[in-house]
Amino acid sequence: MQRTGLFIERAGFLQRLNPLTKATGALLLIGATFLLPAPLTGAALLGGGLLPLALASLVARRFLDILLKTLLPVLISLVLVQGLFFPTADPTIVAIGPLLFRRAGLQFALDTGSRLLVVAGAPLLLFQTTHPGMLVQALIQSGMPRSIGYILLVALQLIPAISERAVGVAEAQRARGLETEGNVLQRIRGVLPLISPLIVGALVEAEERAMAIEARAFNAPGPKTWVRAIPDPPAERMARIAMLTALGTLVVWRVATFFSG
Amino acid sequence: MTTSTTSQRGGLSSTALASIPIAIAINVVLGQLVQSVLKLPIYLDSIGTVLVGVLLGPLAGAITGLLANVIWGLTLAPSALPFAAVAAVIGLIAGYARQYGAMHSWWKMALAGLLTGVVAAAISAPIATYVFGGVTGAGADVLVAMFQSLGASVLGASFMQGAVSDPLDKTITYLIVWAIISALPKRLLARFGANAQ
Repeated sequence: MQRTGLFIERAGFLQRLNPLTKATGALLLIGATFLLPAPLTGAALLGGGLLPLALASLVARRFLDILLKTLLPVLISLVLVQGLFFPTADPTIVAIGPLLFRRAGLQFALDTGSRLLVVAGAPLLLFQTTHPGMLVQALIQSGMPRSIGYILLVALQLIPAISERAVGVAEAQRARGLETEGNVLQRIRGVLPLISPLIVGALVEAEERAMAIEARAFNAPGPKTWVRAIPDPPAERMARIAMLTALGTLVVWRVATFFSG
Repeated sequence: MTTSTTSQRGGLSSTALASIPIAIAINVVLGQLVQSVLKLPIYLDSIGTVLVGVLLGPLAGAITGLLANVIWGLTLAPSALPFAAVAAVIGLIAGYARQYGAMHSWWKMALAGLLTGVVAAAISAPIATYVFGGVTGAGADVLVAMFQSLGASVLGASFMQGAVSDPLDKTITYLIVWAIISALPKRLLARFGANAQ
Protein backbone atom coordinates (compact mmCIF):
# COMPACT_ATOMS: atom_id res chain seq x y z
CA MET A 1 0.00 0.00 0.00
CA GLN A 2 2.50 2.62 -1.05
CA ARG A 3 0.61 5.07 -3.22
CA THR A 4 -2.91 4.72 -1.89
CA GLY A 5 -1.90 4.33 1.75
CA LEU A 6 -2.61 7.65 3.43
CA PHE A 7 -1.90 6.47 6.96
CA ILE A 8 1.14 8.10 8.58
CA GLU A 9 2.49 6.39 11.69
CA ARG A 10 2.78 9.16 14.32
CA ALA A 11 1.93 9.35 18.00
CA GLY A 12 -0.39 12.36 17.95
CA PHE A 13 -3.80 13.23 19.35
CA LEU A 14 -6.13 11.68 16.75
CA GLN A 15 -4.05 8.50 16.47
CA ARG A 16 -4.97 7.64 20.08
CA LEU A 17 -8.73 7.86 19.49
CA ASN A 18 -11.05 5.01 18.58
CA PRO A 19 -11.57 4.94 14.76
CA LEU A 20 -15.34 5.18 15.22
CA THR A 21 -14.99 8.44 17.18
CA LYS A 22 -12.92 9.96 14.37
CA ALA A 23 -15.34 8.73 11.70
CA THR A 24 -18.28 10.24 13.61
CA GLY A 25 -16.38 13.51 13.90
CA ALA A 26 -15.71 13.55 10.15
CA LEU A 27 -19.40 12.91 9.51
CA LEU A 28 -20.39 15.80 11.80
CA LEU A 29 -17.97 18.21 10.07
CA ILE A 30 -19.24 17.25 6.60
CA GLY A 31 -22.85 17.55 7.74
CA ALA A 32 -22.23 20.93 9.36
CA THR A 33 -20.61 22.42 6.28
CA PHE A 34 -23.73 21.71 4.22
CA LEU A 35 -26.24 22.65 6.92
CA LEU A 36 -24.70 25.94 8.06
CA PRO A 37 -24.21 29.00 5.82
CA ALA A 38 -21.15 29.03 3.50
CA PRO A 39 -18.41 30.22 3.12
CA LEU A 40 -17.97 31.17 6.79
CA THR A 41 -18.72 27.66 8.08
CA GLY A 42 -16.26 26.04 5.69
CA ALA A 43 -13.52 28.48 6.63
CA ALA A 44 -14.26 28.12 10.37
CA LEU A 45 -14.34 24.31 10.27
CA LEU A 46 -11.12 24.18 8.28
CA GLY A 47 -9.23 26.82 10.28
CA GLY A 48 -10.76 26.06 13.69
CA GLY A 49 -11.33 22.30 13.37
CA LEU A 50 -9.32 20.38 10.80
CA LEU A 51 -6.07 22.37 10.88
CA PRO A 52 -5.59 22.37 14.69
CA LEU A 53 -6.46 18.64 14.72
CA ALA A 54 -3.91 17.97 11.98
CA LEU A 55 -1.32 19.95 13.95
CA ALA A 56 -2.10 18.08 17.18
CA SER A 57 -1.78 14.81 15.28
CA LEU A 58 1.59 15.82 13.75
CA VAL A 59 0.41 15.38 10.15
CA ALA A 60 -0.33 19.04 9.25
CA ARG A 61 2.22 19.38 6.43
CA ARG A 62 1.20 16.19 4.61
CA PHE A 63 -2.47 17.01 5.24
CA LEU A 64 -2.28 20.42 3.54
CA ASP A 65 -0.03 19.06 0.81
CA ILE A 66 -2.47 16.29 -0.25
CA LEU A 67 -5.59 18.40 0.29
CA LEU A 68 -4.35 21.16 -2.01
CA LYS A 69 -2.89 18.77 -4.58
CA THR A 70 -6.17 16.88 -4.98
CA LEU A 71 -8.49 19.89 -4.82
CA LEU A 72 -6.54 22.50 -6.78
CA PRO A 73 -7.79 21.35 -10.22
CA VAL A 74 -11.40 21.40 -8.95
CA LEU A 75 -10.99 24.82 -7.32
CA ILE A 76 -9.39 26.37 -10.42
CA SER A 77 -12.10 24.87 -12.62
CA LEU A 78 -14.74 26.15 -10.19
CA VAL A 79 -13.46 29.74 -10.26
CA LEU A 80 -13.05 29.77 -14.05
CA VAL A 81 -16.29 28.02 -15.03
CA GLN A 82 -18.58 29.65 -12.45
CA GLY A 83 -16.71 32.96 -12.28
CA LEU A 84 -17.01 33.46 -16.03
CA PHE A 85 -20.22 31.60 -16.94
CA PHE A 86 -22.45 31.66 -13.81
CA PRO A 87 -26.06 32.29 -14.86
CA THR A 88 -27.06 35.41 -12.88
CA ALA A 89 -29.19 38.52 -13.13
CA ASP A 90 -26.56 40.45 -11.11
CA PRO A 91 -24.62 42.53 -13.67
CA THR A 92 -21.66 43.34 -11.36
CA ILE A 93 -18.36 42.53 -13.06
CA VAL A 94 -15.00 42.06 -11.34
CA ALA A 95 -12.05 42.51 -13.69
CA ILE A 96 -8.97 40.47 -12.77
CA GLY A 97 -6.28 41.01 -15.39
CA PRO A 98 -7.81 40.40 -18.82
CA LEU A 99 -10.65 38.24 -17.40
CA LEU A 100 -14.09 39.69 -16.60
CA PHE A 101 -15.56 37.70 -13.68
CA ARG A 102 -19.20 37.86 -12.57
CA ARG A 103 -19.42 38.74 -8.89
CA ALA A 104 -22.27 36.29 -8.15
CA GLY A 105 -20.28 33.56 -9.87
CA LEU A 106 -17.19 34.24 -7.73
CA GLN A 107 -19.40 34.19 -4.62
CA PHE A 108 -20.83 30.83 -5.69
CA ALA A 109 -17.32 29.48 -6.34
CA LEU A 110 -16.16 30.68 -2.91
CA ASP A 111 -19.13 29.06 -1.12
CA THR A 112 -18.73 25.74 -2.93
CA GLY A 113 -14.94 25.77 -2.63
CA SER A 114 -15.02 26.34 1.14
CA ARG A 115 -17.39 23.37 1.50
CA LEU A 116 -15.27 21.16 -0.71
CA LEU A 117 -12.19 21.75 1.44
CA VAL A 118 -14.05 20.38 4.49
CA VAL A 119 -15.78 17.56 2.58
CA ALA A 120 -12.41 16.36 1.27
CA GLY A 121 -10.35 17.35 4.31
CA ALA A 122 -12.32 15.50 7.01
CA PRO A 123 -12.00 12.01 5.45
CA LEU A 124 -8.39 12.77 4.48
CA LEU A 125 -7.47 13.55 8.09
CA LEU A 126 -9.37 10.45 9.24
CA PHE A 127 -7.32 8.22 6.94
CA GLN A 128 -4.02 9.92 7.67
CA THR A 129 -4.45 9.20 11.37
CA THR A 130 -6.21 5.81 11.18
CA HIS A 131 -4.85 2.53 9.86
CA PRO A 132 -7.49 1.24 7.39
CA GLY A 133 -7.35 -2.19 9.02
CA MET A 134 -8.24 -0.72 12.42
CA LEU A 135 -11.12 1.30 10.98
CA VAL A 136 -12.54 -1.73 9.19
CA GLN A 137 -12.15 -3.88 12.33
CA ALA A 138 -13.95 -1.27 14.43
CA LEU A 139 -16.75 -1.05 11.85
CA ILE A 140 -17.15 -4.84 11.69
CA GLN A 141 -17.20 -5.07 15.50
CA SER A 142 -20.00 -2.52 15.57
CA GLY A 143 -22.09 -4.44 13.07
CA MET A 144 -20.85 -3.97 9.50
CA PRO A 145 -20.92 -7.24 7.45
CA ARG A 146 -17.54 -8.96 7.45
CA SER A 147 -17.64 -9.42 3.68
CA ILE A 148 -17.84 -5.64 3.13
CA GLY A 149 -14.81 -5.15 5.37
CA TYR A 150 -12.89 -7.79 3.46
CA ILE A 151 -13.75 -6.16 0.11
CA LEU A 152 -12.63 -2.72 1.33
CA LEU A 153 -9.27 -3.93 2.64
CA VAL A 154 -8.42 -6.11 -0.35
CA ALA A 155 -9.39 -3.37 -2.80
CA LEU A 156 -7.13 -0.89 -0.98
CA GLN A 157 -4.22 -3.33 -1.28
CA LEU A 158 -4.95 -4.15 -4.93
CA ILE A 159 -5.05 -0.60 -6.31
CA PRO A 160 -1.24 -0.11 -6.37
CA ALA A 161 -0.75 -3.63 -7.78
CA ILE A 162 -3.30 -3.17 -10.60
CA SER A 163 -1.93 0.30 -11.28
CA GLU A 164 1.57 -1.19 -11.68
CA ARG A 165 0.22 -3.89 -13.97
CA ALA A 166 -1.49 -1.23 -16.11
CA VAL A 167 1.88 0.44 -16.62
CA GLY A 168 3.37 -2.94 -17.53
CA VAL A 169 0.63 -3.68 -20.08
CA ALA A 170 1.03 -0.20 -21.59
CA GLU A 171 4.78 -0.74 -22.03
CA ALA A 172 4.28 -4.20 -23.53
CA GLN A 173 1.74 -2.89 -26.05
CA ARG A 174 3.91 0.08 -26.94
CA ALA A 175 6.78 -2.32 -27.61
CA ARG A 176 4.44 -4.00 -30.11
CA GLY A 177 3.88 -0.67 -31.84
CA LEU A 178 0.70 0.65 -30.16
CA GLU A 179 0.20 4.42 -30.41
CA THR A 180 -0.78 5.93 -27.05
CA GLU A 181 -0.27 9.55 -28.01
CA GLY A 182 -1.82 11.86 -30.60
CA ASN A 183 -5.29 13.32 -31.05
CA VAL A 184 -8.40 12.35 -29.05
CA LEU A 185 -9.49 9.52 -31.38
CA GLN A 186 -6.02 7.99 -31.41
CA ARG A 187 -5.85 8.15 -27.63
CA ILE A 188 -9.26 6.45 -27.27
CA ARG A 189 -8.21 3.73 -29.69
CA GLY A 190 -5.00 3.29 -27.71
CA VAL A 191 -6.92 2.69 -24.47
CA LEU A 192 -8.74 -0.45 -25.63
CA PRO A 193 -5.71 -2.76 -26.08
CA LEU A 194 -4.60 -1.67 -22.61
CA ILE A 195 -7.89 -2.45 -20.87
CA SER A 196 -8.64 -5.97 -22.03
CA PRO A 197 -5.37 -7.72 -21.01
CA LEU A 198 -5.55 -5.89 -17.69
CA ILE A 199 -9.08 -7.11 -16.91
CA VAL A 200 -8.71 -10.66 -18.24
CA GLY A 201 -5.53 -11.07 -16.19
CA ALA A 202 -7.27 -9.72 -13.11
CA LEU A 203 -10.23 -12.10 -13.54
CA VAL A 204 -7.89 -15.09 -13.74
CA GLU A 205 -6.42 -13.90 -10.46
CA ALA A 206 -9.93 -13.59 -8.99
CA GLU A 207 -10.41 -17.31 -9.53
CA GLU A 208 -7.30 -18.15 -7.48
CA ARG A 209 -8.41 -15.74 -4.78
CA ALA A 210 -11.86 -17.36 -4.62
CA MET A 211 -10.26 -20.75 -4.03
CA ALA A 212 -8.11 -19.29 -1.27
CA ILE A 213 -11.21 -17.80 0.38
CA GLU A 214 -12.92 -21.19 0.32
CA ALA A 215 -9.81 -23.01 1.55
CA ARG A 216 -9.71 -20.71 4.59
CA ALA A 217 -13.44 -21.08 5.30
CA PHE A 218 -14.06 -17.32 5.17
CA ASN A 219 -17.80 -17.92 4.81
CA ALA A 220 -17.96 -20.34 7.75
CA PRO A 221 -20.69 -19.39 10.25
CA GLY A 222 -20.06 -18.65 13.92
CA PRO A 223 -18.27 -15.92 15.89
CA LYS A 224 -14.75 -14.84 14.93
CA THR A 225 -11.94 -13.68 17.19
CA TRP A 226 -9.64 -10.68 16.69
CA VAL A 227 -5.87 -10.47 17.12
CA ARG A 228 -5.92 -6.85 18.23
CA ALA A 229 -8.27 -5.16 20.66
CA ILE A 230 -9.29 -1.56 19.90
CA PRO A 231 -9.71 0.51 23.08
CA ASP A 232 -13.04 2.32 23.38
CA PRO A 233 -13.18 4.30 26.66
CA PRO A 234 -16.62 5.48 27.92
CA ALA A 235 -15.65 9.13 27.35
CA GLU A 236 -15.31 8.46 23.62
CA ARG A 237 -18.64 6.65 23.50
CA MET A 238 -20.23 9.72 25.14
CA ALA A 239 -18.45 12.00 22.64
CA ARG A 240 -19.87 9.98 19.74
CA ILE A 241 -23.40 10.26 21.11
CA ALA A 242 -22.90 14.02 21.61
CA MET A 243 -21.64 14.47 18.04
CA LEU A 244 -24.53 12.48 16.55
CA THR A 245 -26.99 14.49 18.67
CA ALA A 246 -25.41 17.72 17.40
CA LEU A 247 -25.72 16.52 13.81
CA GLY A 248 -29.36 15.54 14.36
CA THR A 249 -30.08 18.95 15.93
CA LEU A 250 -28.49 20.72 12.94
CA VAL A 251 -30.65 18.74 10.50
CA VAL A 252 -33.85 19.48 12.47
CA TRP A 253 -32.90 23.18 12.74
CA ARG A 254 -32.15 23.40 9.01
CA VAL A 255 -35.42 21.72 8.04
CA ALA A 256 -37.36 23.96 10.46
CA THR A 257 -35.80 27.20 9.12
CA PHE A 258 -36.34 25.98 5.56
CA PHE A 259 -40.08 25.65 6.08
CA SER A 260 -40.53 28.78 8.20
CA GLY A 261 -38.34 31.04 6.04
CA MET B 1 -17.25 -26.61 -10.66
CA THR B 2 -20.39 -27.61 -8.82
CA THR B 3 -19.23 -26.38 -5.42
CA SER B 4 -17.31 -23.32 -6.58
CA THR B 5 -20.11 -20.80 -6.17
CA THR B 6 -22.16 -22.46 -3.49
CA SER B 7 -20.46 -21.24 -0.30
CA GLN B 8 -22.93 -18.40 -0.01
CA ARG B 9 -24.11 -18.27 3.58
CA GLY B 10 -23.23 -14.62 4.20
CA GLY B 11 -25.01 -13.36 1.07
CA LEU B 12 -21.96 -12.97 -1.20
CA SER B 13 -20.33 -16.03 -2.77
CA SER B 14 -16.59 -16.59 -2.56
CA THR B 15 -16.38 -15.75 -6.27
CA ALA B 16 -18.09 -12.41 -5.60
CA LEU B 17 -15.81 -11.77 -2.62
CA ALA B 18 -12.77 -12.39 -4.81
CA SER B 19 -14.01 -10.47 -7.87
CA ILE B 20 -15.43 -7.31 -6.29
CA PRO B 21 -12.15 -5.94 -4.86
CA ILE B 22 -10.44 -6.53 -8.21
CA ALA B 23 -13.28 -4.79 -10.05
CA ILE B 24 -13.00 -1.88 -7.61
CA ALA B 25 -9.28 -1.57 -8.25
CA ILE B 26 -9.89 -1.65 -12.02
CA ASN B 27 -12.50 1.12 -11.70
CA VAL B 28 -10.17 3.32 -9.69
CA VAL B 29 -7.07 2.73 -11.83
CA LEU B 30 -8.87 3.25 -15.17
CA GLY B 31 -10.99 6.12 -13.84
CA GLN B 32 -7.91 7.86 -12.53
CA LEU B 33 -6.07 7.24 -15.81
CA VAL B 34 -8.86 8.66 -17.97
CA GLN B 35 -9.57 11.57 -15.63
CA SER B 36 -6.03 12.75 -14.97
CA VAL B 37 -4.07 11.62 -18.04
CA LEU B 38 -6.43 11.59 -21.01
CA LYS B 39 -8.71 14.49 -19.90
CA LEU B 40 -11.58 13.24 -22.05
CA PRO B 41 -15.24 14.22 -21.44
CA ILE B 42 -15.96 10.54 -20.63
CA TYR B 43 -14.98 8.66 -17.46
CA LEU B 44 -14.57 4.90 -18.09
CA ASP B 45 -14.66 4.50 -14.30
CA SER B 46 -17.41 1.87 -14.17
CA ILE B 47 -16.04 -0.98 -16.30
CA GLY B 48 -15.43 -3.09 -13.18
CA THR B 49 -18.91 -2.26 -11.83
CA VAL B 50 -20.69 -3.25 -15.05
CA LEU B 51 -18.52 -6.37 -15.38
CA VAL B 52 -19.44 -7.57 -11.88
CA GLY B 53 -23.10 -6.59 -12.35
CA VAL B 54 -23.32 -8.58 -15.58
CA LEU B 55 -21.40 -11.60 -14.25
CA LEU B 56 -22.67 -11.80 -10.66
CA GLY B 57 -25.99 -9.97 -10.52
CA PRO B 58 -27.50 -6.68 -9.30
CA LEU B 59 -26.48 -6.92 -5.62
CA ALA B 60 -22.81 -7.61 -6.35
CA GLY B 61 -22.84 -4.86 -9.00
CA ALA B 62 -24.34 -2.31 -6.63
CA ILE B 63 -21.83 -3.16 -3.89
CA THR B 64 -18.95 -2.84 -6.38
CA GLY B 65 -20.09 0.60 -7.54
CA LEU B 66 -20.76 1.92 -4.06
CA LEU B 67 -17.50 0.75 -2.49
CA ALA B 68 -15.42 1.69 -5.54
CA ASN B 69 -16.46 5.32 -5.24
CA VAL B 70 -16.05 5.27 -1.46
CA ILE B 71 -12.47 4.00 -1.79
CA TRP B 72 -11.62 6.21 -4.75
CA GLY B 73 -13.07 9.22 -2.98
CA LEU B 74 -11.23 8.53 0.25
CA THR B 75 -7.84 7.87 -1.34
CA LEU B 76 -7.20 9.62 -4.65
CA ALA B 77 -10.12 11.73 -5.90
CA PRO B 78 -12.43 13.30 -3.30
CA SER B 79 -14.82 14.26 -6.11
CA ALA B 80 -15.80 10.58 -6.57
CA LEU B 81 -17.24 10.08 -3.08
CA PRO B 82 -20.58 11.96 -3.43
CA PHE B 83 -21.28 10.01 -6.64
CA ALA B 84 -21.20 6.65 -4.80
CA ALA B 85 -25.00 6.40 -4.97
CA VAL B 86 -24.89 6.86 -8.75
CA ALA B 87 -22.24 4.14 -9.04
CA ALA B 88 -24.40 1.77 -7.00
CA VAL B 89 -27.36 2.33 -9.35
CA ILE B 90 -25.10 1.69 -12.36
CA GLY B 91 -24.11 -1.70 -10.91
CA LEU B 92 -27.73 -2.50 -10.12
CA ILE B 93 -28.85 -1.74 -13.68
CA ALA B 94 -25.99 -3.83 -15.10
CA GLY B 95 -27.21 -6.80 -13.06
CA TYR B 96 -30.76 -6.43 -14.34
CA ALA B 97 -29.56 -5.86 -17.91
CA ARG B 98 -28.02 -9.32 -17.76
CA GLN B 99 -31.27 -10.82 -16.50
CA TYR B 100 -33.11 -9.27 -19.45
CA GLY B 101 -30.66 -10.92 -21.85
CA ALA B 102 -28.46 -7.94 -22.73
CA MET B 103 -25.49 -10.27 -23.23
CA HIS B 104 -27.10 -11.98 -26.21
CA SER B 105 -25.84 -9.41 -28.70
CA TRP B 106 -23.60 -6.35 -28.79
CA TRP B 107 -26.39 -3.94 -29.72
CA LYS B 108 -28.47 -4.96 -26.70
CA MET B 109 -25.45 -4.18 -24.55
CA ALA B 110 -25.11 -0.79 -26.28
CA LEU B 111 -28.79 -0.12 -25.61
CA ALA B 112 -28.41 -1.09 -21.94
CA GLY B 113 -25.41 1.25 -21.75
CA LEU B 114 -27.38 4.10 -23.27
CA LEU B 115 -30.22 3.57 -20.77
CA THR B 116 -27.78 3.37 -17.85
CA GLY B 117 -26.20 6.62 -19.04
CA VAL B 118 -29.50 8.51 -19.06
CA VAL B 119 -30.36 7.30 -15.54
CA ALA B 120 -26.83 8.11 -14.32
CA ALA B 121 -27.02 11.63 -15.77
CA ALA B 122 -30.36 12.28 -14.07
CA ILE B 123 -29.06 11.21 -10.62
CA SER B 124 -25.63 12.86 -11.03
CA ALA B 125 -26.86 16.34 -11.94
CA PRO B 126 -28.22 17.37 -8.51
CA ILE B 127 -25.09 15.97 -6.81
CA ALA B 128 -22.76 17.78 -9.22
CA THR B 129 -24.70 21.00 -8.68
CA TYR B 130 -25.08 21.07 -4.91
CA VAL B 131 -21.75 19.54 -3.91
CA PHE B 132 -19.39 20.78 -6.62
CA GLY B 133 -21.12 23.77 -8.17
CA GLY B 134 -21.25 21.93 -11.46
CA VAL B 135 -17.55 21.14 -11.93
CA THR B 136 -15.30 18.25 -10.88
CA GLY B 137 -11.91 19.27 -12.27
CA ALA B 138 -12.21 16.71 -15.09
CA GLY B 139 -12.40 17.12 -18.85
CA ALA B 140 -16.20 17.34 -18.84
CA ASP B 141 -16.11 20.75 -17.09
CA VAL B 142 -15.71 22.47 -20.44
CA LEU B 143 -19.19 21.19 -21.39
CA VAL B 144 -20.71 22.72 -18.22
CA ALA B 145 -19.13 26.07 -19.12
CA MET B 146 -20.50 25.83 -22.64
CA PHE B 147 -24.10 25.08 -21.58
CA GLN B 148 -24.06 27.84 -18.95
CA SER B 149 -22.83 30.35 -21.50
CA LEU B 150 -25.76 29.28 -23.69
CA GLY B 151 -28.11 30.33 -20.88
CA ALA B 152 -28.65 27.20 -18.78
CA SER B 153 -28.81 27.21 -14.97
CA VAL B 154 -26.10 25.39 -12.99
CA LEU B 155 -28.42 22.38 -12.46
CA GLY B 156 -29.56 22.47 -16.08
CA ALA B 157 -25.99 22.69 -17.39
CA SER B 158 -24.91 19.85 -15.09
CA PHE B 159 -27.71 17.65 -16.40
CA MET B 160 -26.95 18.52 -20.01
CA GLN B 161 -23.26 17.79 -19.44
CA GLY B 162 -24.28 14.41 -17.98
CA ALA B 163 -26.73 13.80 -20.81
CA VAL B 164 -23.86 14.25 -23.29
CA SER B 165 -21.12 12.41 -21.37
CA ASP B 166 -22.94 9.62 -19.53
CA PRO B 167 -24.82 7.78 -22.32
CA LEU B 168 -21.66 7.88 -24.46
CA ASP B 169 -19.48 6.76 -21.55
CA LYS B 170 -21.80 3.94 -20.46
CA THR B 171 -22.37 2.71 -24.04
CA ILE B 172 -18.59 2.45 -24.53
CA THR B 173 -18.28 0.79 -21.10
CA TYR B 174 -20.93 -1.85 -21.89
CA LEU B 175 -19.36 -2.59 -25.27
CA ILE B 176 -15.94 -3.03 -23.65
CA VAL B 177 -17.49 -5.38 -21.07
CA TRP B 178 -19.23 -7.31 -23.84
CA ALA B 179 -15.95 -7.67 -25.75
CA ILE B 180 -14.10 -8.80 -22.63
CA ILE B 181 -16.68 -11.39 -21.57
CA SER B 182 -16.82 -12.74 -25.13
CA ALA B 183 -13.04 -13.18 -25.01
CA LEU B 184 -12.95 -14.91 -21.62
CA PRO B 185 -12.08 -18.61 -21.52
CA LYS B 186 -15.14 -20.83 -20.91
CA ARG B 187 -13.49 -22.46 -17.90
CA LEU B 188 -13.20 -19.07 -16.20
CA LEU B 189 -16.81 -18.14 -17.04
CA ALA B 190 -17.98 -21.38 -15.41
CA ARG B 191 -16.64 -19.96 -12.16
CA PHE B 192 -19.37 -17.35 -12.35
CA GLY B 193 -21.98 -20.09 -12.33
CA ALA B 194 -25.47 -19.88 -13.74
CA ASN B 195 -25.12 -16.13 -14.24
CA ALA B 196 -22.73 -16.63 -17.15
CA GLN B 197 -23.17 -18.54 -20.35
